Amino acid sequence: MNRRDFMIGGAAAFAGSALLPRRGLADVPVLYDWRAMPPTTSKDIYIAWMVTNRGEDPDLLGRRYDRFEHMVGHRDLFTDRDKRAFLMTPREEFCLEKNLARAYDRDFLDIGYGVTISGPNLVGRMTSSIDVQRGDKVLEVGTGSGYQSAYLCNLTDKVWSIEIIKPLAERTRGVYDKLISRGYTEYQAVTTKNADGYYGWEEAAPFDKIIVTCGIDHIPPPLLRQLKVGGIMVIPIGPPGAQHVLKVEKKKGLLGGVRVKRSDIYRGSVVPFVPFTKLEGDEIVGTHNQ
Amino acid sequence: MTPATAAARDAPFAGPANLALYLAVAFVAGAVIALQIALMRVFAVGSWVHFGSLVVSLAMLGFGLASVIMCLARPWFDRHWRGAGGTALVLFGPLTVAATLIAQALPFNPVFLVSDPSQKWRLLANFLLYLMPFLAAAFFLGIVFLKSREAFSRAYFADLTGSGIAGLGILGAMYLLAPEAIIAFPLLLWAFGGLSWHLGLAERRGLAALLAIATVTIGGYHLLPGALDIPAIATSPYKGVAYARNFPDAERVYRNVSPFGDLQVYASSYMHFAPGQSDNAAFNLPDLPPNTFVGMYIDGDGPEGVMRALDEAERDYFFYLPSYYPYVVKNEPETFVVQFGGGISTMVALAAGAPRVTAAIGNPAVLAAFRTDPLRDFTSDLVDDPRVAIVDYDGRLFLAETDKRYDVIDLSLADSVGLSNPGGFAIVEKYTYTREAMLDYMNALADGGILSVTLWNKEEPPKSILKLYATISEAAEEFDPATAANALFVASSYLSTTTVLYKRGGFTAEEIDRLRAYTEEMSFDEIYSPGLVYEASMERDVLDDYRQSIFGDGSAAQPAPTPEDPTTEGTDDEIDDGDATPLPSVEVARLAWRALVSHDWPAFADAYLFDTRPLTNDRPYFAAYVKPQDLTRTVDRLELFQDEWGYLLLWATLAIACALAATLVIIPVVFAWRAAFSRTPGKAGTVLYFACLGLGYIVVEVGLISRFTLSLAHPTVSASVLIAGMLVFSGLGSLVSARFTDRARTVMPVIFVTIAALLFAYGSLLDPLLGWIGTTAYGWRLAICFALIAPPAFLMGFPMAVAMTWLARLGKDEMFIWAWGINGCFSVVGAALVPILATAFGLSAVLNTSAVAYLLAIAGLFALLTPLRDRATPEPA
Repeated sequence: MNRRDFMIGGAAAFAGSALLPRRGLADVPVLYDWRAMPPTTSKDIYIAWMVTNRGEDPDLLGRRYDRFEHMVGHRDLFTDRDKRAFLMTPREEFCLEKNLARAYDRDFLDIGYGVTISGPNLVGRMTSSIDVQRGDKVLEVGTGSGYQSAYLCNLTDKVWSIEIIKPLAERTRGVYDKLISRGYTEYQAVTTKNADGYYGWEEAAPFDKIIVTCGIDHIPPPLLRQLKVGGIMVIPIGPPGAQHVLKVEKKKGLLGGVRVKRSDIYRGSVVPFVPFTKLEGDEIVGTHNQ
Repeated sequence: MTPATAAARDAPFAGPANLALYLAVAFVAGAVIALQIALMRVFAVGSWVHFGSLVVSLAMLGFGLASVIMCLARPWFDRHWRGAGGTALVLFGPLTVAATLIAQALPFNPVFLVSDPSQKWRLLANFLLYLMPFLAAAFFLGIVFLKSREAFSRAYFADLTGSGIAGLGILGAMYLLAPEAIIAFPLLLWAFGGLSWHLGLAERRGLAALLAIATVTIGGYHLLPGALDIPAIATSPYKGVAYARNFPDAERVYRNVSPFGDLQVYASSYMHFAPGQSDNAAFNLPDLPPNTFVGMYIDGDGPEGVMRALDEAERDYFFYLPSYYPYVVKNEPETFVVQFGGGISTMVALAAGAPRVTAAIGNPAVLAAFRTDPLRDFTSDLVDDPRVAIVDYDGRLFLAETDKRYDVIDLSLADSVGLSNPGGFAIVEKYTYTREAMLDYMNALADGGILSVTLWNKEEPPKSILKLYATISEAAEEFDPATAANALFVASSYLSTTTVLYKRGGFTAEEIDRLRAYTEEMSFDEIYSPGLVYEASMERDVLDDYRQSIFGDGSAAQPAPTPEDPTTEGTDDEIDDGDATPLPSVEVARLAWRALVSHDWPAFADAYLFDTRPLTNDRPYFAAYVKPQDLTRTVDRLELFQDEWGYLLLWATLAIACALAATLVIIPVVFAWRAAFSRTPGKAGTVLYFACLGLGYIVVEVGLISRFTLSLAHPTVSASVLIAGMLVFSGLGSLVSARFTDRARTVMPVIFVTIAALLFAYGSLLDPLLGWIGTTAYGWRLAICFALIAPPAFLMGFPMAVAMTWLARLGKDEMFIWAWGINGCFSVVGAALVPILATAFGLSAVLNTSAVAYLLAIAGLFALLTPLRDRATPEPA
């Protein structure tokens, strides 16, 4: 076996085994309902509702709620639909077992193959800012952990996702299939494939929104073509955990042609950095490092 | 045993037949330096080289630690030197192999240094692992020095010369051994060292045992990774090359290892390169078919895109790249490409109609790769195309000396693909982008010729591009103040690239119109053009906002308007509303140019949150953007500075080195004061003396490595030449110094003043000289560089040897061994200090610092020479 095969095989074995044993693999007790909104009057009420309706782990639900409050405080979730999407997505299912305790930390986490799962704040902000409407066709380039597409499934029922790394694509497909079999029927909205995302997904085009999460030195022209006029594409730029997200809008030019406009998801305002803070009750105290 | 033989056995270095022992010292000292350089290679290929610098330089504190232990138990080591020395020696090899293997099984991932607490422990584990072999070597060398203290200058000569020659040797070894096998070289040196040691001491049993252990160790290094399923080098999955390996159809089609890097080429249909391509290409160009590109990786970093020769029909592709800019206004230009990179700039020039293109390839490994299949075939033999001439050294050096004049000089995106490096960037000299280099380029332009510089613009807030703007603007002003404002045109694309054009003699109005039209057609942003009038009233707000965005406490957080905002909804959103509200980074770039041309730059630079000082040959760094007064404020937001971790690590290294060095210096004071030092006068002076020596020496060595890169063009060669030159000449100095030991009081102050004078002179005079040397043949360059190193290095060999000999003569035995440790500790501090001094104050400040250290040492000298109070000892003249 040559070294490359060994590394890939080893990483796959490692990553695969890390995902397998999960506590509380209970089926979802209540059928998914687009109108169902988890209550946010208090953490306990939220947990109770989620346990009843989704059958998830109360401890992790508590952490999800803490992160939720933090994200609302930092205005990473704009609308009730965005809030619902975050509250309904079990992020822990998309993290490696070794990182389970940190699933709701603000940090990005390793998922193997040199790929990370972005921090919840960034996923929240980025998704909120492209304003996905129910029925929108959304393409994700770089499936990775699968969390982003799972999150999108709570906003629209038409999601396509492409992953370039074959073992990762297969692993994440397996995660979806397992979740669907447990009753997370909303993830049936995701169609996945293992391919080069550079060429987009011609058969399913055009898309209302495109999210690209792979590093490249230019925006792939096929993706720009597969974006509807009036559509939005977002691309995080920079190292993992980057705070800057390039936003590309495809517009009609004044003379009728098509124009591409670059900006960032914050519509041109400089984004103030907010230090790592932790919530105790309703108060923000200290930083995670202290 | 007669008393005479017993004495000979206890003073092994005194007799005539001890050449083998000196050889052992030379080999082991050589193994230490070779291991240092080899580990840096391992880190460079497996993760990132600056983490290697951190680990290796701190591991050198093993010398300080060994000295402290020996100082506290000096009589024991004096008695048991044979057993202790032999054990330390034999352990070096196995510890090296064990440390390397365990470190690969315990890789630490810099990407998660901030977010994952376990990574800090892994980094500490790496440090402790690599400390072990250095500690073993330090004990061995310390014991040798202790036993040879009466003849220290000879032992020191062997130590320095061995290190120096090994520094050169490992350069050669890099041609033969890939990074995953490079540690075999220090292991071989160690084995030879062990053999010489046991031969010198005539210990047959030891000899046999060592032979067996060396065979097992080297065999183990070779075989264990395969047997234990541990990678020989665990490549971080976040390195560029690791991604290529993940592509399903990726195939490595070429590999070449040399001191110029581990160059690998991967082919895959998943490779796509179009550096800075206009988004409009999507609607006007057919896609290039798969397999148009391959990726070139050096030390696992990259990729650098290499393109096959395009068909006539495909050549519109080039029109949409920002490196096409100069050809918008130049027809059939004689073109010079300063950095060949992956060859795309050269292809752009040919496609744009340049009849001849001269391209410089500074890295011989890259040139060799392009002259070998598959790259030769893939690029249709681009480097030997009849229209292409290749300069096989730095383009900057060529242009500085040539009489030829060019219509276009291109410097485009040859450094990296511009994707952010998750481990941060190492602090490296970018002499290609300095003010002096820009002046050389401008000077090599024909009348009306255009210099075109394209750089990645992926930082927000902008950092490197502002340094580039300041550098070119300053050079233009200096080259021809009358035309400067009319000679520049600048455009950029948000989070993509920026291009600065300089036209010798200034642009015409018609040319500016064409450039503007092209900018418009590509949907790039115009940043500066002659006659720019830009409203500056917003400057203060924009600059304050940027400062708040990074260093604010979050209280001013006013996130973006939400999509519910009625002004952002509706069908109007689908229509381009022009450029009414430029983005902050575009605005700040325009404000920067306004400040540059209206000479308001100091105020702008002062108010901007990052350092924007231009690059000069004295401070050639795209790095150290965080202003020193802001450093402490980065601590709770390190993830915002990932691209600066290389720089921030330097501060961390310095802080840790200072703390550990101080601890190691203090321990003997606390624990051995009564027993050993109470009768020893001049302690403070002695500490000062050896601290200055340790710091002064390494600062010169490391500082000159950066400096000499200017003419030797490659940091690895520069490092080897400097290490070899400095250490060998200092070794000779140490040997010769024995003749002057008796006259230390009169001779040494003169030596110190001469060293300081030479260093001050080098600080100010070296720069133009090195520029000139860089244009001579490579053999001459090496010879002249060695000649330049010789005078200060030779004299710098004196102070250590003379002082150590006197400590021994005066019977200050604990002080003797402690002094050696202090010297070692401050070497580590000095090595960490150099890049910080260089980035903050410039490379000449580095040499000046060393000069001051050598002058300060004079004060310590006389304290050191004070005899013990209750003992009649010889006194120096």
